[in-house]
Amino acid sequence: MSFSEIFLGILEGLDVTLTVTAFGLLFAIPFALVAGVAQQFLTGWKRAPVTAIIEFWRSTPILVLMFMFYYTLPVAGVYLNATTVAAMTLGLHIGAYGSQSVRAALQALDRGQVEAGLAIGLTRWQVLLTIELPQMAVAMLPTFVNQFIQLVKGTALVALITMTDMTARAKELSQLTFDPPAIYGALMLAYFLLLYPATVLGRHLERVVGRRSGRLNGGRAGDV
Amino acid sequence: MDQTAISINKLNKWYGDFHVLKDIDLQVATGEQVVICGPSGSGKSTLIRCVNRLEAYQDGHIEVMGQEETNLPRLRRQVGMVFQQFNLFPHLTVLRNCTLAMTRALRMDQAEAEETALRMLERVRIREQALKFPTQLSGGQQQRVAIARALCMSPKAMLFDEPTSALDPEMIKEVLDVMADLAQDGMTMICVTHEMGFARQVADRIVFMDAGQVVEVAPPDSFFANPQNLRTRTFLEQIL
Ligand SMILES: Nc1ncnc2c1ncn2[C@@H]1O[C@H](COP(=O)(O)OP(=O)(O)OP(=O)(O)O)[C@@H](O)[C@H]1O
Ligand SMILES: [Mg+2]
Repeated sequence: MSFSEIFLGILEGLDVTLTVTAFGLLFAIPFALVAGVAQQFLTGWKRAPVTAIIEFWRSTPILVLMFMFYYTLPVAGVYLNATTVAAMTLGLHIGAYGSQSVRAALQALDRGQVEAGLAIGLTRWQVLLTIELPQMAVAMLPTFVNQFIQLVKGTALVALITMTDMTARAKELSQLTFDPPAIYGALMLAYFLLLYPATVLGRHLERVVGRRSGRLNGGRAGDV
Repeated sequence: MDQTAISINKLNKWYGDFHVLKDIDLQVATGEQVVICGPSGSGKSTLIRCVNRLEAYQDGHIEVMGQEETNLPRLRRQVGMVFQQFNLFPHLTVLRNCTLAMTRALRMDQAEAEETALRMLERVRIREQALKFPTQLSGGQQQRVAIARALCMSPKAMLFDEPTSALDPEMIKEVLDVMADLAQDGMTMICVTHEMGFARQVADRIVFMDAGQVVEVAPPDSFFANPQNLRTRTFLEQIL
């Protein structure tokens, strides 16, 4: 098998990689937002369950989570298909990390912003939605791209719960032809081509956001 | 008829063990302008932040327009506040900074809110900057937008917390002029400031605070010419 045949063979798994990534985002983004905001806003004992849930998803290895939900839930009569399990475990794992960025971004916002919002008669909830979250979203874009990259890389594990993504395709090909350097070289190339644009975008956003916040924090005298 | 706009009665506040406001009594009449001054840490900011309840207090009462409103957003729509650091929303244009609370809190429609906002921006002489973002404006311009943003809620009274302290000297006057206009129009104001020229010109009464207490209250003439309290005299000697 030539390198290009191997490469094309691997790309047959691209749709699975992309599907798991896309559905993974559907779990990751809402979870990161809700958990991060909840952890920031709740106090005392109400915060404990949120922290526990975040820690559960963050501290358990993804592979263990996948096995857990794919192989042990059926014992309890719950059947989830492999795509759902993969998207959920990867998404919530990455989302749990994301929640900590959300929280950090909320804490980093100038307290004066919240006070100004309250002082013109907005409710705390309106302040969150119209003042804090929009500013935070911009500040968080670079982090978001990084976590997206982690998610895509995490999809390489789905082969272990029977899905045929790019990594699984590589393993299949290695049984047809014994050429590990070509096969895994092609696999790396595939991930690189998929992720390189994201890393470039991430770096670009970091620069743009950095410049913006530099300006916000008062380059000009009297701007403050 | 001299209706009381803001009435502060036996107000006490603690931060932990620290007694930051001690038995404060202060009545501000409708249309009156009161300037608060005093050394750093005397509790000036804390006092006016209690009025719109950005700070909670443990003891005493504050009535605005005759009632102690417990719905905080509603209270805060009656009492506008301008901060030392402007605190404009950097992700919104000047116009949106002004319309935000009208459309969200008052549920006004966008067109009506914009019309009000432009009128208020006109009033602070900055209407032509309506579509810029705050960071594109000078400090003095930003502070005038902050005043317009507060005015948009048609407040019954305005609180100012050292509105010119973060400004370059050449921008102080444009902000003070706008505030003097407001006073002229009969806006009830409590203003924490060390701009004694402004106090002399605009204030009906000057309140001197020290160590969490109101030490002296007097009209500007007698406050400057003939301060009664030793602490007031020491303070005035230092800043004049
Ligand atoms: N959140 C807080 N926790 C504890 N102490 C506080 C807090 N905020 C203010 N203080 C203290 O309360 C006192 C009064 O503060 P305040 O900001 O009201 O003073 P101020 O008169 O406005 O001073 P300045 O002229 O410096 O603005 C100060 O001693 C300050 O250190
Ligand atoms: Mg202060």
